[in-house]
Amino acid sequence: MKKNDRDIRWLPGLSWLTALFFLFLYTPLLVLVVFSFNASRSTTVWSGFSLEWYHKAFTNDAIRVATQNSVIIATLAAILATTIATSAALALARNKRMKGKQAFHGAMLLPLMIPEIVTAVATLIFFSTIGLGLGLGNIILAHTVFCIPFAYLPIKARLESMDENLEMAARDLYADKWATLRFVTLPLVMPGIISGAMLAFIISLDDFIITLMLAQAGSTTLPIYIYSFVRVGITPEINAVSTILIGFSVIVVSVSAFLGRKTAS
Amino acid sequence: MRLNATTNMPLNRLPESKPDLKKDKQDVVIPAIEMTDLCKVYSGETPVNALHNANLEVHDNEFFTLLGPSGCGKSTLLRLIAGFETVTSGNLKLFGEELSALPPEKRPINTVFQHYSLFPHMTVLENVAFGLRRQGKSERDAKMTAKEMLDLVQLDQYAQRYPKQLSGGQQQRVALARALAPHPRVLLLDEPLSALDLKLRQSMRVELKRLQRETSITFVFVTHDQEEALAMSDRIAVLSNGRIQQVSDPATIYEHPENRFVADFIGDANFFDAKIDKVDGEFTRYRLSTGDILLGPTTEARSEGAEVSIFFRPEKATVSLDLTGGLRGRVKDILYLGDSTEYRIYLADQSEISLKAENLKDGSPLAEVGTDVAVSVDPNAIRVLSR
Repeated sequence: MKKNDRDIRWLPGLSWLTALFFLFLYTPLLVLVVFSFNASRSTTVWSGFSLEWYHKAFTNDAIRVATQNSVIIATLAAILATTIATSAALALARNKRMKGKQAFHGAMLLPLMIPEIVTAVATLIFFSTIGLGLGLGNIILAHTVFCIPFAYLPIKARLESMDENLEMAARDLYADKWATLRFVTLPLVMPGIISGAMLAFIISLDDFIITLMLAQAGSTTLPIYIYSFVRVGITPEINAVSTILIGFSVIVVSVSAFLGRKTAS
Repeated sequence: MRLNATTNMPLNRLPESKPDLKKDKQDVVIPAIEMTDLCKVYSGETPVNALHNANLEVHDNEFFTLLGPSGCGKSTLLRLIAGFETVTSGNLKLFGEELSALPPEKRPINTVFQHYSLFPHMTVLENVAFGLRRQGKSERDAKMTAKEMLDLVQLDQYAQRYPKQLSGGQQQRVALARALAPHPRVLLLDEPLSALDLKLRQSMRVELKRLQRETSITFVFVTHDQEEALAMSDRIAVLSNGRIQQVSDPATIYEHPENRFVADFIGDANFFDAKIDKVDGEFTRYRLSTGDILLGPTTEARSEGAEVSIFFRPEKATVSLDLTGGLRGRVKDILYLGDSTEYRIYLADQSEISLKAENLKDGSPLAEVGTDVAVSVDPNAIRVLSR
């Protein structure tokens, strides 16, 4: 088959459509970022460059506490979720004769398909029924649970692309199961684990609905804070905080994707 | 550096190589590996009987080959010895000690894997030192022995590289060094040469044979390549359909196969259905299905009229234009093979046989395509099998 036959570029207007698509996707973000540097209070009229709003955001105690909460929650939730996801991936990938393997696999990924508001309400009802009042702990628990499938996918992909003979070779060379896990399996799966952890971190950091349901006084996270702030009125300060959040997310996701791509090679 | 250029160099001495104990205790010879009625059934929806009642002894300090087509059970046998598969029934002993219950890491047996399976996240040196470290050697000692092993396979200058940076042949040598470094009692080799190109494969044959002699470690080599098996082995076990067909030295396997499978799988053979026409002392007249009479050796316990299968190797027969004796036929094809020429000949009943003549002079064919020829075979080169 000729290469051109499969090239999608023969479609008329493809380049225009693509340009429009990206314009549509990124213009709002671009506007938000640009106006975070605006010298005036307006978020619609440009009146000169300034870092004033960044300064304000950094000196705002409420933002500082919210950021701190977000980072604590995301870090712990990512660590817990990744640990559980790694164990699950190992159990499912290295257990050939396990019964109901597909069912387990499906159960791992089901949370991805359940509407988040349902999970949020269910979690809220569950926590209040058992009377769990751990403050940030409640949110960390809830985040851990919905982060597991996100952490699980890259780890599973990495494990499946790994040559199982390597583990056999390790056993052959006097490494027991633990030594094989420690010196061969884990180092080789590590890019997948890191990728999974970063994905979980970002998902937790960005989460709004579940956190909103569970957040009590003193456990406000950054997305909740931004939401409550916007309801009062939009200032470039929000733009500044959002820009930082975007930048941070882009960096983490890029690293995650980069490590994930090494899986393929 | 060209790898095949180094194979003619004398090998360095193996570090700490053990003295040959075998000579001192000739009276009590314990086999390196001994299996009695060893069976392996892979359970599943349709259980697969991969190995039927295998009985086999591999001697100490022997280059032993498991030979057979794919799916014959040779890899299963290897994996049972290594411990990657569990024994379904029967016994498996290593120097007299039962192995079946031991996990792979507790068996003093190492494996060279088909696709090398080097650890990609470790340097060549770390790969070779891995087994020694897991055996509890200090890092310093392990690295020192690993260096000596790399020296043995002439890869010492690649110690700090990663496996990915090496050629296939070099990776093969690293895999060998890694498996030999912990001084296993038995080394298993799972078709280690199949991924190499022809020239490299041939030079590695010499190298492996030499390593076996040098280390005095028992080698169990798995292959489907009969030429490889004949060239390297002290003894060969031919397997088919999960059963051991014959265990013998290469010459016996080739010259005196015990059944049709072995005769057919190793080398080429021209088979005939035949009936014993007349036993006449040392020789017997065999009447072929073509009607021709072929003189062959007399075999025990077969009387006149018995139905047998007889065969001869293509190189044991000669073709001649003098039509007074032998099998009559017509040349169908002539294949010039360089060192020899193969003649494909139609017999009277349209069955086809092949024979090979060495090109001792200039290789010009002895007969033309379409000419009538006579094929004669030395009666001592005829083999008789039960049908």
